[in-house]
Amino acid sequence: MGVAPLVMSGATKRFGAFTAVSNLSFDVPAGQIVGFLGPNGAGKSTSLRMALGVMAPDEGEVALFGVKPDIRNLRRVGFLPEERGLYKKMTARDTITYFARLKGMTAADAKARANELLDATGLGKFKATRISKLSKGMAQKVQILSTLAHRPDFLILDEPFSGLDPMNQQTLEDLIRAEHQRGATILFSTHVMEHAERLCDRIVMMARGRKVFDGTLEAAYETLGQGARIAVEHGFDLAGALAPKGFEAHRAADKGPGDSWRVDMPKGRGAQDVLRAALEAGAPILGFQPEEARLRDVFVALVGEAEAAALDVPGAATEAEAA
Amino acid sequence: MRNIYLIFRRDFLGYVKAWGFWLSLAAVPLFLVIGAGFGYFAASSSPVRYYAVVEPSGVIAGAIEAEFARSEARAAAETAALAADMQVEVSSDQVAAATPRKFIQVAAPATTIEDLRPYLLGEKTVAGPDGDKALFAAFLLTEGGGALQYWSTDVNVTTLQYAAETAMRDLGRRDALLAAGLSADFLKHVDGAALPVTAFRLRSEAEPADGGSEVTMADKAPAIVAGALAYFLWLMVFSIIQYLLMGTIEERSNKIFDTLLTSVKLPELLAGKLLAVFAVTSTMMLSWGLFAGAGSAIAASQSPAMMEMIDPFIAAATNPGLIIPALVSFMLGYVLYGAIFMALGSLCDTIQEAQTLLSPMMILLMLPMFAIFIAFNDPGSPVIDYASWVPLFTPFLLILRIPQDPPLWEILAQMGLMAVTTALIVWGATKVYRAGAVHGAGIGDLVGMVKSAMGMKPKAVKE
Repeated sequence: MGVAPLVMSGATKRFGAFTAVSNLSFDVPAGQIVGFLGPNGAGKSTSLRMALGVMAPDEGEVALFGVKPDIRNLRRVGFLPEERGLYKKMTARDTITYFARLKGMTAADAKARANELLDATGLGKFKATRISKLSKGMAQKVQILSTLAHRPDFLILDEPFSGLDPMNQQTLEDLIRAEHQRGATILFSTHVMEHAERLCDRIVMMARGRKVFDGTLEAAYETLGQGARIAVEHGFDLAGALAPKGFEAHRAADKGPGDSWRVDMPKGRGAQDVLRAALEAGAPILGFQPEEARLRDVFVALVGEAEAAALDVPGAATEAEAA
Repeated sequence: MRNIYLIFRRDFLGYVKAWGFWLSLAAVPLFLVIGAGFGYFAASSSPVRYYAVVEPSGVIAGAIEAEFARSEARAAAETAALAADMQVEVSSDQVAAATPRKFIQVAAPATTIEDLRPYLLGEKTVAGPDGDKALFAAFLLTEGGGALQYWSTDVNVTTLQYAAETAMRDLGRRDALLAAGLSADFLKHVDGAALPVTAFRLRSEAEPADGGSEVTMADKAPAIVAGALAYFLWLMVFSIIQYLLMGTIEERSNKIFDTLLTSVKLPELLAGKLLAVFAVTSTMMLSWGLFAGAGSAIAASQSPAMMEMIDPFIAAATNPGLIIPALVSFMLGYVLYGAIFMALGSLCDTIQEAQTLLSPMMILLMLPMFAIFIAFNDPGSPVIDYASWVPLFTPFLLILRIPQDPPLWEILAQMGLMAVTTALIVWGATKVYRAGAVHGAGIGDLVGMVKSAMGMKPKAVKE
């Protein structure tokens, strides 16, 4: 196992009186896919920019491949920023070639690699098309390919799935898996937990600039244990009914008849115990389904429902912070 | 260096691939060609016009005719001299054809303005050497001979009127001289007897004076070359504003900075961009210069006199004593102003926002322009001496002061001042650029940044 591509130790970043990231420590071991999770405004992008040396931490340290980020070790990194943008008058091939050359590739290698990537992703016939003439999805694909072109050892992707349609999201997931199989270490941020559940070996969860969880997916699920989803008639307070029986229930946003609740099951107690307790409490049950915990539920349990709601409302946390 | 080259190359190609660049490149030569062609066409297509003089003696008519004859003789002599300079043989007929008479006197068809009216309005024509035509104008001597009236339907063409005024002035002088018992050529003799005033320049013993002490073009050429260089620098700085503003806005609005800054260092990015804009404006100006140079070379090859005229300028432009400080001033001045404009551009999100910056930038640039004007007219002015110590003016004014042989310590001190100022400006501009590009700071944050840099309050640029 080589040196960890990224180690952050006590990194803190402030903008005036506002603390965007507070005392953040985590590492990204070589060869893993790590999800960096949290709602918008949690401090993910700021953390990633510190990781890349785009901005320096006010406190703490960042080590990229064991040393402070600089242009030399950044050549081993491919970075996809959250705010996408390319030179609109450049062609797709020239764009990929240009960014690959900035990462140290020769002109001939960069051009060949651009052709290879464009052909492989179905953009072959748009090689000579200006970015301004491409659809938004195609332009995003070109930017992702620019990130991969120089075959980086470490990929940092900031909200890579945002703005992509479901088909392109799947294509990107496949690309991430392919890069991982090639040997690349991958750190990507997202506020959509499902992507992390499908891709990650490890996750780091952020809320309000602080790390709230750092570990494997299994460890994350274990923080909750098993659970069950119970739909009851509208207006029935299941949380209040189950609390005396030692179960904790949270409202869920599931669509369906009545109100949906997720009930956490303490260790040693099973789905049948929940169902029995609910019936004994006189709950008007419309549906019942035992289930494994989801990352979103883990996040809810760690930071509370109000904070977790920001996962589904882009920009909500940012506004809250600004206020 | 490789990254600077890549940034430079992309930006440069981005600019030169745009239509606007080629339009700008073609505009100046095209304007000169069209302007010259238009002037030639206007002169050659000017019609032959008839005029008549109504006065009984014929003296006034003769005087106006004599004035035209004098003008023609002057033009013919100039044409012949030019032909001789260019070593081209031309006949007297060819000389006459090069300066054709455009106003021809014809016999007056009537003696009052009422009777002349149909001829002037084109309802009737008069016969003349160029066929039958309407009268363009008529001169009528008032009763008593107190004034000469000029009548025409087109008062915008004033050549004939001015020729008549000159003729009347000469006629008046001649009559006055004759009345005083002097010959008509008396004033010419007087002018010829005036003492000539010749300009000399006192040279130091070390200074070569191949042509003696008399002031020649070789003495004036350094100041003219210095003035041209200073103006060229100003023009270049003026030209880059738009490129730097628009280029930076494109990158900021396209959100490319983060990607770029993980591949290149910020100073490399700035250097590449500044070099690209420098190359674009240099390409443009060199192309124009080549156009002018080619024209001059052609003229010089045709005329030894033209070559003699150009020689002192070439000598001045290749004199290390002028060109080295001038080039240093030029480069530092370009970087100084370029860094300021690029930093300001990084704070703008939209073209509209940038346009609000253009006015203060223009005012900032007009200040050195005023100084250039003053220095050009009076290079030894104390105002210029003092102003040349103001860092924003130094690049322009040091160039202009060089031909005045300022003390060496002043040249070195001002070059040092420029270097230090440029380094400080680049340092500050890098900070502002980083704040704009990385932290998304806007124009409104500029004051806060300055205060922060001066330690007056903590930086509060929000991400």
